[in-house]
Amino acid sequence: VSPLAKLIFDIVPYALAFTLGALIPRRKSTFERVSLGIVGAFALLAIRVLWPNPAAAAVSAEGATEWKPLLSLIVFLPIFGAAAVLFLPRQSPHLIKRFTMLVLAVDFFVSLGLLSVEWSRGWHFQHIVPWIPSLGIRYHVAVDGVSAWLVLLSTLTTPIALYVSFGSITTRIKDLCFAFLLLHGGMLGAFVSLDLFLFFVFWELMLVPMIVLIGVWGGVERIKAAYKFFLYTMAGSMLMLAAILYMAWTHLKLAGYPSFDYLALSRLVLPREAAWCCFIGFFLAFAIKVPMFPFHTWLPDAHVQAPTGGSIILAAVLLKLGTYGYIRFCMGMLGGPAWIAAATLAGIAIGGGIIYGALVAWKQDDVKRLVAYSSVAHMGFVMLGLFGGTESGIQGSILQMLNHGVSTGALFLLVGVIYDRRHTRLVREFGGLAKIMPVYAVLFVIVTMSSVGVPGTNGFVGEFLVVLGTFVSETLGPQAKLQGTLAAAGVILAAVYMLSVVQKMFFGPLDNPKNRRLPDINVREVVAVAPFIVLIFVIGFFPNLFLSRSQDGARTVVDHYREGLRAYRETDPDSTKAVLAPRRGGPLERGYPEGPATPEPAAAPDQQPQALNAEAGK
Amino acid sequence: MQGLIALFPADDFTLLAFIVLLPLLGAFVNGVFGKRLGREAVTLMGLGTVGVAFVLSVVTFLVLREQQGEGTEKAARLIWHGWDWASISLRAGAASRISVNFSVDALNGTMALVVTGVGFLIHLYSSKYMEDDPGYYRFFCYLNLFIFSMLVLILGDSLPVLFVGWEGVGLCSYLLIGFWFQETKNAAAGKKAFITNRIGDFGLLAAMGLLVYYAGALDWSGIEAGSRNLLTPVAIWPLGHHFPFYDHLGRVGEILNARVYVSAATLVGLALFLGCAGKSAQIPLYVWLPDAMAGPTPVSALIHAATMVTAGVYLVCRMSMVFVLSPAAMFTIALVGAVTAFFAATIAFAQNDIKKVLAYSTVSQLGYMFLGVGVGAFAAGFFHVITHAFFKACLFLGAGSVIHAMHARIHDTDASQDMRNMGGLRKYLPYTFMTFAASWAAIVGLPFTSGFFSKDEILLKAYTSSIGLPVAGGTLGEGADEMKLMAWPAWGGTVLYVLGLLTAVMTAFYMTRLFLGIFYGEFRGWKIKANYKAPAHDHDHGHHAHETGPLDGPKPHESAWQMWVPLAILGSLALVAGFWNAPLLHLHGFDEWLEPVFKQASENVKTIEGAEGLMYPFVGLAVAAFAIGVGGAYWVYITRKGEPAKRFVEAAPGLHSLVQDKWRVDEAYDEVVIGSVDSLAEIAVVGDKWVVDGILARASAFIVSALGTVLRYFQTGVVHAYGAFMVVGLGWMAWLLMAPRAEAKTSNDAAAGAFSVSAAPGLGYKYRWDANGDGQWDSNDYGDKTEVNFNLDVAQSRKVRLEVKNAFGRTASTEVTLSRPKPDKSGGAFEVNPDDGTIKRLEPTPNAPTPEVKP
Repeated sequence: VSPLAKLIFDIVPYALAFTLGALIPRRKSTFERVSLGIVGAFALLAIRVLWPNPAAAAVSAEGATEWKPLLSLIVFLPIFGAAAVLFLPRQSPHLIKRFTMLVLAVDFFVSLGLLSVEWSRGWHFQHIVPWIPSLGIRYHVAVDGVSAWLVLLSTLTTPIALYVSFGSITTRIKDLCFAFLLLHGGMLGAFVSLDLFLFFVFWELMLVPMIVLIGVWGGVERIKAAYKFFLYTMAGSMLMLAAILYMAWTHLKLAGYPSFDYLALSRLVLPREAAWCCFIGFFLAFAIKVPMFPFHTWLPDAHVQAPTGGSIILAAVLLKLGTYGYIRFCMGMLGGPAWIAAATLAGIAIGGGIIYGALVAWKQDDVKRLVAYSSVAHMGFVMLGLFGGTESGIQGSILQMLNHGVSTGALFLLVGVIYDRRHTRLVREFGGLAKIMPVYAVLFVIVTMSSVGVPGTNGFVGEFLVVLGTFVSETLGPQAKLQGTLAAAGVILAAVYMLSVVQKMFFGPLDNPKNRRLPDINVREVVAVAPFIVLIFVIGFFPNLFLSRSQDGARTVVDHYREGLRAYRETDPDSTKAVLAPRRGGPLERGYPEGPATPEPAAAPDQQPQALNAEAGK
Repeated sequence: MQGLIALFPADDFTLLAFIVLLPLLGAFVNGVFGKRLGREAVTLMGLGTVGVAFVLSVVTFLVLREQQGEGTEKAARLIWHGWDWASISLRAGAASRISVNFSVDALNGTMALVVTGVGFLIHLYSSKYMEDDPGYYRFFCYLNLFIFSMLVLILGDSLPVLFVGWEGVGLCSYLLIGFWFQETKNAAAGKKAFITNRIGDFGLLAAMGLLVYYAGALDWSGIEAGSRNLLTPVAIWPLGHHFPFYDHLGRVGEILNARVYVSAATLVGLALFLGCAGKSAQIPLYVWLPDAMAGPTPVSALIHAATMVTAGVYLVCRMSMVFVLSPAAMFTIALVGAVTAFFAATIAFAQNDIKKVLAYSTVSQLGYMFLGVGVGAFAAGFFHVITHAFFKACLFLGAGSVIHAMHARIHDTDASQDMRNMGGLRKYLPYTFMTFAASWAAIVGLPFTSGFFSKDEILLKAYTSSIGLPVAGGTLGEGADEMKLMAWPAWGGTVLYVLGLLTAVMTAFYMTRLFLGIFYGEFRGWKIKANYKAPAHDHDHGHHAHETGPLDGPKPHESAWQMWVPLAILGSLALVAGFWNAPLLHLHGFDEWLEPVFKQASENVKTIEGAEGLMYPFVGLAVAAFAIGVGGAYWVYITRKGEPAKRFVEAAPGLHSLVQDKWRVDEAYDEVVIGSVDSLAEIAVVGDKWVVDGILARASAFIVSALGTVLRYFQTGVVHAYGAFMVVGLGWMAWLLMAPRAEAKTSNDAAAGAFSVSAAPGLGYKYRWDANGDGQWDSNDYGDKTEVNFNLDVAQSRKVRLEVKNAFGRTASTEVTLSRPKPDKSGGAFEVNPDDGTIKRLEPTPNAPTPEVKP
């Protein structure tokens, strides 16, 4: 077979997928056709690339060649882009829009490079540069199976959110683009940072553009909402900062040299009280971000006031930082307290998240508020999976994070569509919209089903894995089955609140005269929501594409979690001494911040570490 | 045939993928492109895909027969492996894969035949029935999607895959009930169906969790292998380790704290049955099905009569190996089935909407099926699924044909379904009449029709069959966890049989009432105006005061061939299908066909002695039930022209309206269930605003702002005030400086016995010491010496005093007692853990002196 014939043969399926996508719209819009065609072809490409292939995995594991600066490129492209936007003329918004979209698009395609290797156990695309050597602070970024999907979720969501924002926001385009790019860089940085100082910098960095987004382009009470968002998040951050500083200081005492590195700090075995204080510090920061009951009330206000694009980012990506942080830092570094608190916290996630969130959502009359409370319920599932601490529960949580990003992002996008047309989101203002906006109604119902967790859509897979993980969880002890059952009952309430709003908005007679002439969803909105719709079904039918890649990451989390618990149990309850656990060795400790004078030899991965535990006064 | 088997080996039976995916293709094309393709293309796509799926199902069935013929010991099973879906953690760190696999055996092979076959006929019927609807393409998209989901449900090889279909059919049902969504009533009915089904789905989800925990698998063969693990006692009460405060409550506390055990099999069985009750409209979740009649009639025939609602029966059959481990769960199923059958039949008496009558009759017949499978007669229960699919689909389609004809005249959905407007239609709708008569004969149990055989078999088994204890003696667990399994009650058979027989009489009565009301007597529709609107909920049925004479208008007319051909096929099947399983005539084809599937389950099913001899007397009773029901209805409605019914209504108007309002169960649910959840939600909303947000946001903001308000008064900008504050502050500092403070710090090297005491420094401080502990100052003058050093012997102690004088000549003193303990002989401070080699630092023995500081 000649190479040309082979090439043609390879291209045919994509051409077919492109054609299929291009045929779907009925409008005479070449742009819409081409875009949907690209989405179709891209979906096929994604499925084929991601399809688990043991042979390729073995090859990749052997000769893995990772281009180290990839992550830095992904993170700093938007940040430098933001700087560049400052030099573009405010008078030509088109130029600014094109430039920003180009940066985000390039960033997305660059981030696809993460898929070039298998995300096996250990860190990938690790890039380390000394930053403040006197304090042991390094620029240390890397991904594993847990964070890599979140990076990809961000790089996919931000361009969509910005693109859809251009449809409704016409003022201060330059500022908008600057804020979006900076926000994007901050979020990505927080997902990939393995140095806690760096993590904190990015964590705070993304706060600022988000407040600007809410406060400048938001609704009537935007300033109040922005304040509330800021103060809540800040309160948590400060506690986390205190915990970080305490841990870094303890490390300095024990190891003799300063480091803020995750790899170093996760070796710390703190005395029990200190461990609990640090856990509470980290946990509160993340619980506020997630948000978990009772720290959730900033979320509805922020969502209602934020512009559509801001809401999409907030729901799809920002909240994930809380759950991601819990996996990485609470479970990774403070496994003991995390394990012991898990059963109680799981009760809060179920009672205060899944059930309470759903009940409150049911009674909301503002659609955005409703979706915000549904986020509380969905994130309750994510947290429950983490508290359960089983491999499939954590896998389900990781997937549920993607799912929530996809479905809630799409829901906010679609709510924005109707808000742009009517400038209201009150459910009672609508009714019978399916008659005049059929395409919109279909898309909304599809996304609703995904949010409700109907099998065949993405929402089901995550919830299912979390519920099953809860049933078999050791962490939750004798209550695991009861908690699993209660979590499963959450699916009833999800159907209640989502279907009520769908019925009130789309079905029944079209009796509000203001709705008679509403135009159906436009080209821009269709193109923006199309990737989400495709993802809903791809994840729903082929979750293993995603799960197989995050598996090693989830396994590592479970291992660290157990190690943390064991170390905690072995600590004398009355001891006030912190110790450094033995080095783990192996790929998990690549890039460990070695001390300047006395580098400790890394133990071989298969050998039981025997090194004497270092010790120091508290 | 051999070629087919060679092409599609049993462990890679690709044909199944085609059967499942073809309707999905149809749904996709119709849904996305249907509007542009036009009606013909939509019809072709919709009918073609389902038709081909039917042909392929027939092929599969034949291959299966061929395979099963070879070795009857083990059930033949054809499987197609799709792709890995996810992997799940089990207990104790093990893991299991969930794959998208489809498999077919005698049970679901037969069901697939029914689904695609009846499905195809109903598609054909719909192509005419829905002809003028603007949402024609949408309708076929949903119908195809439904067939796809239903096939996933029955062909799925594991519970999660089944669950995909299970919720998929619920979704399609939701979409199709609300097909004419512009009426709020229809959309609300769809929502009600979906949510009620979701309650059932919750049960299924919980059952999957329990199965993963106890059986360690979710695919059929894995569950079968692990099913014995379900014979484990599970403590379901108290929820924690003990009931809170039980030790303060005396006897009540003891009762509350008593542990309650249930076997895991019972829990799984009841949870699964909750799912079945939701999908198959059993008590307590049957309320959605009558409302579901808001959908187009072909939908009622396909989804709400022939296929989807029987999914619950299929699930019980499929999971029979789990159910038979729990007599308690099985008896619950049988009893709920029998009660539902009876209860729904009572409601059907008083309904006038022909679709409502059929809906309650469906609920009632589904109750029969559960009665059958509940007593362990899986084949008999499942056979009723098939015969019911034929005759009930035919009845619904016939009703559709009648409504179609009436609608052409009345143009009102409710009125064209009202029995009171019909009568004498056999003249106008001859084909519909004949087929309706055939299926009516089957449902009332006319001897030798399909319904007669299948119902008779269920009734017989209800009396003779029961579930035995899965372990000898019925005791599970050991020691404190020991529990006794509930055995099948002795009165069970009698109660189930009597309920079933009464239902048979009632079925014969109300179905005959329906049949006579539609087709016999005079056509009452002449008196209906063209734009007639039914008065909202009048309860004086039978008294329609339309005094006007016959109006002009189109006559009811027979439907096109697309509508009566399916009727004819289904009608004939309703008559003859019973011969596939007619024990009366010694025909056991169906039983033998399914026997290998239920082999493991039937080991636990017991039959009472002398069951053989009971067959003929029971047949006699069944025929008597038929005769009483049909004869009674004929006497009431034809011989006496409905007089007795009217008199009954006049005599007991309260009872009649209660029954006509479906015993007001919906209203009770509204008040109790929905009302309480609603109140809970209201409370949550108020609590969210005022308690959660109130404390965390508002109260903390208030505290900060209150503090700010107070502090603001100190920031007045008046220099005099600042000066005054400064003076106060300076005075305070001066007082601090004038008061001397004596503080002593000790340090030691306990091993060598060297001690030192040092004094805290201060502005202008002078010190004098009593370092040798003799009670005398070392020198009476104050000096600059801030530290004293000395040695102590073992077990010696000394009191050291310190006096400080500041620049203002004021003094303060303190004393410290130091002692040197005996040396610790316990040795090393490290301990090596022999298990994992970790080294643990022991807490050092406190041999350092503990200074007692007295001010």
